This record gives sequence, structure tokens and C-alpha cells, in this order.
Amino acid sequence: MFRGIKEWLLSLKNEGVEQVPDETKREFLKIGLIITGVFAGGSLFSVVSKVAEGLASPEELHKGYPYKPHYSMVFKLDRCIDCELCMEACRKTNHVPDYGWRTMILRRHDETALDQKTLFMPILCNHCNNPPCVRACPTKATYKDKKTGIVRMAYYKCLGCKTCMVACPYNARYFNEEKHAVDKCDFCWESRLSKGMTITACAEACPAGVRIFGDLSDPGSEVYQLVHQLAKPVWVLKPETGARPNVFYTIS
Amino acid sequence: MRKVKVLAGTMILLLGFTGIAFVSEKNKEEVAIPEEPQGVVYYESEDFGGPEIVYAKPVRGVLFSHKYHVGELGLPCESCHNSIFEMQALKSQENPDFNMEALYKGKYCGACHNGESAFASNTKCATCHIGVKGLREYMKKLAEKEKK
Repeated sequence: MFRGIKEWLLSLKNEGVEQVPDETKREFLKIGLIITGVFAGGSLFSVVSKVAEGLASPEELHKGYPYKPHYSMVFKLDRCIDCELCMEACRKTNHVPDYGWRTMILRRHDETALDQKTLFMPILCNHCNNPPCVRACPTKATYKDKKTGIVRMAYYKCLGCKTCMVACPYNARYFNEEKHAVDKCDFCWESRLSKGMTITACAEACPAGVRIFGDLSDPGSEVYQLVHQLAKPVWVLKPETGARPNVFYTIS
Repeated sequence: MRKVKVLAGTMILLLGFTGIAFVSEKNKEEVAIPEEPQGVVYYESEDFGGPEIVYAKPVRGVLFSHKYHVGELGLPCESCHNSIFEMQALKSQENPDFNMEALYKGKYCGACHNGESAFASNTKCATCHIGVKGLREYMKKLAEKEKK
């Protein structure tokens, strides 16, 4: 009986892929991506499954604000001058070592640009509503604060497996040797906000008014007014990951 | 005798490695950039009347280029010296009013950067503010030049 099957299999001829329609090829690739994505902590999974959601308008990204206060930061991108006073303030306030960062400034430089040739872009943890790092953590050492929506760390639970560092689409995490745990921006919750202060160290240090920090669920706050308008463009980084960040970018 | 030879050989090898390590460490130190500069004066563009100046106060990394202002735009020295700026480089950053507010009132760079003669000083921030990254680049250039 098995010999019959073997002979039948050997008699089959390779039909080639020329006749297969593109849709079928794409479907096949998608299956592969989904399977790989599941094992990669879910960050690749979203490449195929969250595209439609990611391309939604800002109102779609934030239909409601599940937290109170719903902490958020808005960057007026064109005002950043890379003086790095924010980074200094952050290092001092949160005891960030030299080899890591909680916030930093990226630079775009184009000699062929018509006018201004440089643009600086500050980045920090986006405190996503759908955080891939929280999904990836095997010990729940990183979690979404139920009240404020801040993505925080329980350092004593952290194994140092660094899965969250791979899962984060924004590269906003580093391994802190002294704590022997992964460390990240917590909107200065531990150092300032929990002690009654209303603004992060970086936002306070910025001399150019780039970083606007506040409660996105409060219609009277500056962040709400900057995000809920159509006169100036407002965008988030890597919307296609479906992480739904709470850090927005705009121009002044 | 053989033991002594082996021991001697090992010692020589070890010493060699330490030597290599020492030399490479030393080389590393030489290219290191000094931290916390109080501004950079880069004299490559002296042919255009003055240096490239990177201010470090009150915020780090603000470039003034003689190469552009004198060399490319062809402005004469008298348009700034000594009325708006003194001849000595980095002198103005010692003044307490050397900030953007003063520029908006027409002082320092604001004398021309008012939106009429040149772009207004409250626009195109990163044109002059090359930032800490830009400052470090100039520090590097300076260090390389001194090495030569």
C-alpha cells in the first residue's frame, strides 16, 4: 500500500510557481509571518493584522481615554534645538546611567534640503494603550498602570530576559546593570508625579517649549487642545504596529 | 630545562599581550574628546575673515559661520564689528542678556534676523542651533586638526 503512495508521489511533476496567482502567494507568506510573529512576542504579528487600525485617523486612534488622568506628551517638533537639557534633567532626576537613556534626541540631516538642513526629534517611551512590551513580559514585571496609563516597571519582578526590549517598537528600554532590571521612562512617576508634582523633569527643563505634558482626558489641558484640532498636523510614531501611543508630534 | 623554556615562552607571550593592550588603551585616550566645552572656535574658515563659532551658553551648540556670512553672502566686517559683536570670539555669551528674548528685541543676531533682512530669529530654529550633536562634531574636527 505504502509503495503505491511512494510511486504516486515520485510520479508527480513540479508545476512551478508561475501559474500560482499573486493572492495565493501572499496568503501563503502571511501564514508564515503570523506563525513567526507569534513566537516573536507578538510584535511581528501586528505587521499583518493591525495595518488597517494603524492607518486610522487620530480620532480613531483615541476614541476615548480609559485612564484618569490620562498622561500624555506632545512634542512641538520644529522647536527642538538639541540642547539636551531634557536628557541632563532626566539623568539627574531618575539616576539614569551613561550607557542607557530614558529620553533622547535623534537627528535628521540632509545637505540637499532646500532651507533648514537639520531636524531634531526627541523620543521617549510612548506609554502605549496597547503596549507590546507588556504583552511580551513573561513575569508581568512591566505593566500598564490602571489609574494613569503609565507603562511602569516592578523592578523586583524583572528577570532581565530583555524580551520587552525586543518587543518595544520604539527602542525605549535599556538594561540597568545596577538595578539588574530593565529600566524605562515612567513619565517621572516615581521621582516626581507620585510626590505631587504635575510635570516631568524633561518638560520642565526644556527651554524651547518642545515638550508639553498633561492629562489628555481633560479638555482644558494644553495636550488635549494640541491633539484635538485639524489646523496643524498631529502624528504618532509607527502607527502600523497598532501600539496606540500616547506621545504625539506636531509643529508649532 | 624544558620547563624553564616553556615558562619563559609563556612569560614573553603574556608580556606581549599586555604591551599590545597598553598601547591600544593609550591610543584610545588620544582620540578622546574633552567634555563640557565652553564653546568652539574653529579657524578653518579664517580666509573668510573669521572662524566658525559654536556657542555653548546659555544653551549648547549654536553656530555662527563666518564662512557663510562673509564668504558666501559677502557681508563686510563693519556690518557687525564692533557695534553688534566684539572682535573676540565667544565674548557675547558672557553677557547675561545673550538669549532669544534679546534677539527678538533686535540685539545681537536679531539686528538682521528680524524677518526683513534675514529670516526671523523665532523661525527655522535648527539652522543656527546645531545642537550638542553638532557641537561634538566641531569638537572632533578641532581635535583632529590639533593632532595634525
